[in-house]
Formats: sequence, C-alpha cells, structure tokens
Amino acid sequence: MRRVTAFSILLIICLLQAAAQTPEERYAQAGQLYSSGDYSGAAAVYRKLYDDGYRSEDMLYNAGNAFFKSGDNASAILFYERARLIAPADEDINYNLQIARSRVTDKFETVPELFFVRWFNFLSLLAPTNTWAVTALLLFIASLLFAVIFLTKARASGRLLSFWLSLAALILSVLLIALAMNNNSLINKNKKAVITCSIVTGRSEPGESSSELFVIHSGTTVKVEKELGDYLEVQLPDGNKGWISRDCLEKI
Amino acid sequence: MRSSILTVICLLTALSLAAQEMTVTVDAPPSAAAGERFRIIYVINASDGRFMPPAFDQSFTVSGPQTSSSRNVQWINGEMKSTSTTTLIYYVVASTPGKYTIPPAQYETKKLTVSSSPVEIEITSAGAAPAQGVRQGSRQEQQAPASGSELSLRLLLNTREVYVGQPVTATLKLYTRINLSGINELKYPDFKGFLREDIDTPPLTSLESEVIDGVQYGTGVLQRFVLYPQISGELRIDSVHITALVKQRTGVSDPFFSDPFFDSFFSNVTTVAMKVSTRPAVIKVKPLPEPQPADFHGAVGSFELTSSLSKTDVEVNDAMTYTLTLRGTGNLNLAGEPVINFPQGIEKYDPKVTVKSSGTSTGTKTFEYLLIPRNTGTFELPPVSYTVFDPTQEKYITLRTAGYTVKVTGSAGGSEASTPVFVPGEDVKYLGQDIRYIRNGDSGLDLLSSPLVSRTYYWLWFVFALFLTAVILLLRREQMKRNADIKGLRNRKASKVARRRLSKARSLLDTGKPELANAELAKALWGYLGDKLAIAPSDLTKDNCFAALRASRVEEGVITELDLILSATEYSRYSPSSEGESPAGLYKRAAALIGKLDNVLD
Repeated sequence: MRRVTAFSILLIICLLQAAAQTPEERYAQAGQLYSSGDYSGAAAVYRKLYDDGYRSEDMLYNAGNAFFKSGDNASAILFYERARLIAPADEDINYNLQIARSRVTDKFETVPELFFVRWFNFLSLLAPTNTWAVTALLLFIASLLFAVIFLTKARASGRLLSFWLSLAALILSVLLIALAMNNNSLINKNKKAVITCSIVTGRSEPGESSSELFVIHSGTTVKVEKELGDYLEVQLPDGNKGWISRDCLEKI
Repeated sequence: MRSSILTVICLLTALSLAAQEMTVTVDAPPSAAAGERFRIIYVINASDGRFMPPAFDQSFTVSGPQTSSSRNVQWINGEMKSTSTTTLIYYVVASTPGKYTIPPAQYETKKLTVSSSPVEIEITSAGAAPAQGVRQGSRQEQQAPASGSELSLRLLLNTREVYVGQPVTATLKLYTRINLSGINELKYPDFKGFLREDIDTPPLTSLESEVIDGVQYGTGVLQRFVLYPQISGELRIDSVHITALVKQRTGVSDPFFSDPFFDSFFSNVTTVAMKVSTRPAVIKVKPLPEPQPADFHGAVGSFELTSSLSKTDVEVNDAMTYTLTLRGTGNLNLAGEPVINFPQGIEKYDPKVTVKSSGTSTGTKTFEYLLIPRNTGTFELPPVSYTVFDPTQEKYITLRTAGYTVKVTGSAGGSEASTPVFVPGEDVKYLGQDIRYIRNGDSGLDLLSSPLVSRTYYWLWFVFALFLTAVILLLRREQMKRNADIKGLRNRKASKVARRRLSKARSLLDTGKPELANAELAKALWGYLGDKLAIAPSDLTKDNCFAALRASRVEEGVITELDLILSATEYSRYSPSSEGESPAGLYKRAAALIGKLDNVLD
C-alpha cells in the first residue's frame, strides 16, 4: 500500500513537471513547430510565453516570423516592433518588419521625427534600461570619488585631472540616467500600438454615434494619445487623430 | 370465246380474293412530342375498295395520305396467286399534349367493310423526351431513333462521366427515313462549361444505310467535335438544332392511280423545312483529385514525353533547339508549358508551341525552345518532369525526360574570339521576397521585471553615495585642519603625556621607589613645559621656561612654585636622603601645578 502511494506521488510529480515546461523548453518547442511548418502552433506558444512575461529579442523576433507565416500580419508587425525595442539595430528584425509592413493596406506619408529625437531614442534602446541605470550609478559614484580627490589632494597637478574626470563622469552619469529613463518610457510605457482589426473606423469623438473621420486597416502603427473608457484617441503616422475602439489595437 | 374465258378467270380471281380475309392494320407511334411530325400508316391487303379515313382529332394537323398500292401475282403449279396491298400514310402533327384515341378507319369494298382497331396515342409536351423505346446507355451508338419518326438527330457522346479536362468526343448524327434535300441550318448551343473543338468532318453528301431494331434508316454524320470540360459538376449540353429540308408530296393522289413512278412526276413535291433537335444531355464532370502536383499544368489524358536537343557541343552564341514532345490522347491544346530551369548562362527564348492532332484528341504537342549559350563551360540541362492526370488510371503520372550535358566552347578563330568582348557585370537576379528564418540559438529569455529606474532604492543609492561623500569630506577636512597645526597638536598632547608620567610616578611611589618616582616627576614637568611652550629640548632650561611662562602671562606665584618643585626634584635626585620634602607631597604639588598651568596656557 505504501509502495503504491509512493508510486502515485511520483507519477503526479512527473505529470506536473511535464505540464509545467520550462520557458526554455517551450521556446525550443515553438522553434520545432515552426520548422515543421506549423506556424500558427508556434505563434500560439510564443504568444503564451509573451503573455507569461518572458522577453527576449530572439523570442519576439521568432514570434513575429510565426505570425507572419501564419498569415496574421498585424501581430507579426506588433512582435517585430517589440523585438526592435529590445534590439533596435538588429538587421534581421528591421528587414522582416519592412517586409511585413509592405503588406499593410494603409500607406502613409510618415512625418519623420526630429533627427536628434530619433538618434536619442536609438541610442537609448541600444542597451537595456538596467544597464544604463547601473552604469549611471557607477559613474555617479566615480564622479564623487574624483570630487573627493579633488577636494582633499594637496598637489596641484592631480587636483586638476581629478576635477575634470569628476565633471566628465557626472555629465555622463546624468546622460545615462536620461537614456535609462527614455529607454524605460519607450519599452515599458510605449504609446505606440498596432491595429489588429482588419478594418476600423476612426471617429471624431469616443462613441459609435460621432462622425467618421477615417478608415484604417490591420497592421497600421498608430500612437495612442488619450484613453477614455473603451475608446482611445490615436494619431496616425500622417498626424491625423481620431478615436477608435480599444479592442482594435494592441500596444507595442 | 377467248374473251369469255378471260372474264371467267377474272371472276375467279375476284372470288378468290373475296374469299381471302381482308384486314386493315394500323401502325402509329404510341407517343409523340407536340409539334413533332409522326406517321400513321394503314395497310390494307386489298386494293379495290374505298378507304374512309378516321376522324382525326381537331388539334391534329394531318397531311396526306400518301397512297401506294402493290399487286403481287404468282403462278404456282399453274395456279395463279394474287395479293394486293394498299398503304396509306398520314403525316400528323399534334399541337397540344394529351392522350388521344384515333378512331378506327374503314375500308369498304363492294362486298364488305372492314375496320381497323382504334389507336391510342400520347402527345407529350415539346422538348420532353419521348417515352418510346430509347435505351439510355453509356454507349449511345446503339441507340435507335424512335421507331416511327422519320427524322431524328442524335448527339452521340463516347462517355458521360469524365474528369475536368478529359476530352469527350461528340458525334452529331442524323437518322432519317424520309427523303432529305439538304440541311439548312446547324445551330449549336453554347456548351456552357466546355471548350469545343471541331473535328474536320467531310460534308454530308450521301446517307449510309443502317438498320436499327429492324428499321432501316439513312444515317449521316453531320459534325464531329471534341468537348473539353473546364469545370466540374453536372454539365448540361443543350439541344443542337438543325433545320432539315424534307421533300413532301402535297397533292392527294388517287388510290387507283398510285404509282410511285408516276407520283414523282405528277404529284406536287414541295420542300418543307423541318426543325429537328437533339435531346439535352448531361455529362458528369469530376474534379481532378487534390492536391495537384506542383508540376501539373493541366494536361489530362494518357501521354508520353520525349525530349531532344539539336546538339550538345556548341560554340558560344550559337543557337540550339531543345524540343519537348508530348504525345498521346488528351487535352493537348490545354496542356500547359512545362517549367524548365535552364542553367544561368544559357539564354532561353519563349518556346514555339505546335499542336498536331489527327482529327481527334490524339496527337502531339511540341515545345521548341531556342537556347543560346552566352558563356563557355559545361552546362547541365536538367531533366524535365511533367505531371499529367491519367483519367483511366485515375491518378497523376509524372513523366520525365533525360537531362543533357552541353559543352559550350569559345568560338575558335572566330572574329568574336579575337576581339576581347567587354562583358559588363550582370545584376544579381532576385527571385522573390520573404522574411528571414527564425533563430534557434539560446533563447536568452528574461522574465519581465520593473526596471531599476522605476524603483526607489535605485535613487536612494545616489542619495546615499552623495551623503557618504559629504561625510568623508567633512571628516577629512577636520583631519587636515589638525594636521596643519603641529604646535596645537603638541600642545594638546602635552598634558596627556604629563598625566601619563604623573600616573607612572604615582605607581612608582606606591611600590616604594621614591627616587624613580621623583625622576619621573621631573620628566613629566620638563616634557610638559617643552611641549606646552614649544621649546626644543636643547633649549629647555629653567630661565628659558620662566621667560616663556612670563610671556604667556603666567602668574609669578605659579612660576615660583614651579621653580620650587623643579629644585626639589633635582635635590632629591642627587641627595636621596629623607631631608627635604617627602616624595608624596612633591607629587601632589606637581600634579596641582600641571593642572594650574594647563588652565593658564591653553
């Protein structure tokens, strides 16, 4: 009797372990599904990983691929955009995103961002938020150390050098804090969203009764300006604004 | 006399005739379509009576009768036997469908009257298939036209169940029992869902004789064609209409003077246009099985594929011909061009496509590619695979041809070879666009966590670092201040050192060594004075000390006391007798003095 109980407990543990795959195993499983041509199956696994809070550049990129191959172009763009936030300079991600975007119905004359905003955003996405934050803190401490040396050292030559080093480290630290904050706001407080409904009407006010302003299709990237109940005010890439239903878009 | 004998013979004959039973038989179709012409034939085995036609229904349009009579006289063993037959043919067209009864017709001779039996006839609505003996079979060649109809048109199909693209051979055949003077008009339906291809058919000049179900017909093939079904489903072929020109006698001929020979001369023969149609047919077209192979290009039938190449050793820019021949039975015209991946460096031109068929769907289709090698080297012309659907085996069959190896040599001694040709770099050919493949390496998965910048403790680190630095700076500044003032240091240290020596003197005193205690007292005093007054040990004399003390505005009484104590310690050191002051009293005075000096000098 005791043996049977032990055996059944062992069995239950085994079953539980099988059910609870590690994220790594699920990731590998999705890759195998993709290789065997089951794109929608792979996409579902990647999606689940994402929903469970797992993030990696490769995972998001693969998810975009799986959605693209299974025909869900809007989700593919969504995941490529997410992957690009982690690795803005990755060539494969940008290439696939460009291909996915070429299949979007809506074509916009995009108003480009100011070049320094673009550069700053790019720079701030080159490393994860925490890398920037930790480096900034270390630089700040270094700056303080140099300041201490400067203030206490008796000899003139060493004092001058430590003064400049302290100043440089302080400026760099402030810059890195700015990068970290910007990175955080881009990744975690992103205002961009991708339209997931195949067609959606933009209205002048939140609600079904207001006048219709424009019609956009799935895959278009918009910027969320305001939120009110079930409606979001979005800005199109060409600058126009309108209210659309919350169900029709997903934030990047 | 002779004439009387003849009369007797005639009478005998008449008697014998009268003795033979006289009958009137009717031959009429059991059914006919409204508007269709049918015949009612009365045959009487007598010729000398009067035929009284039946009362036809009002809705019948009756023409005729066409009367013919024949007499047959036989002499058998010197006995004459004579039979005579009268045939009357009525052509009737009924306009309204329904069931009709044609009442009996009567034949009246001088002696008796004979009636025919009544005939029931069903007139069906126009276009509906007559119910009479037409057997539906897969082979319609055996189908007989309706007995009793003189003119009919049949569309004979070799099969009624095919696959999409599988050819159906159709023959439009005319069956007639009456004289035709020609075919006026041939009207095809629009063969919805089919592609029609006419087969060369010789014009109908003479009819062939064919006996079907014991009835002789004149038959002729009007047109033969092949139908290629393009879509699947039950496809209906609507009627083919022709207008035939029928020779018809209009005058009512005398039964007693009915001779076909004379008839043709004397009766009025007009040509009547008669419309004849085929019955609609249904062909069941099955779709081709899925999935279709990638190299299937619509060829349905049984084929074989051969290839040939005009030459395998060529010079650069010298043309060669690559020929693919598709041979067999099937939809040759619709068989698409195979996909051949000629190697890069060999220029391919669009093929010349020729279809040769021997009147039916059997024949050959050739694809002639003109190839011009533009580079030297050895090239492989790959084997061509071409998939066709064989409807008899009901499966796809992949035909393959052999590959070729082509050696392309530079043109030796040619004018082109002697002059170097500038070959500009070729652009890379991009064939398609697709996303790049997924990554299979390390996942690098991280669980999403709130970043440091959104946590308070991160910012507290900055504050802490700043605070720590401030503390360090403050402490350091203090230390520097003190280090910078060495005098002050000695000053502060003076009373400490003096006190230490005093306490040491005290302990020596307690252990009963007054000499050593006195010496220690002297050290304490002199050390204290040196440190406090910042006098170097070499200059440490009583005078110097007193001068410095006076400069520090120390009271004269204190200086005198100091002098006394110093003298007392020196005195006790050099004459350690009991005279003078006791060491304990001296110690107390010295300690009190240091306390006083400390208060004044600091």
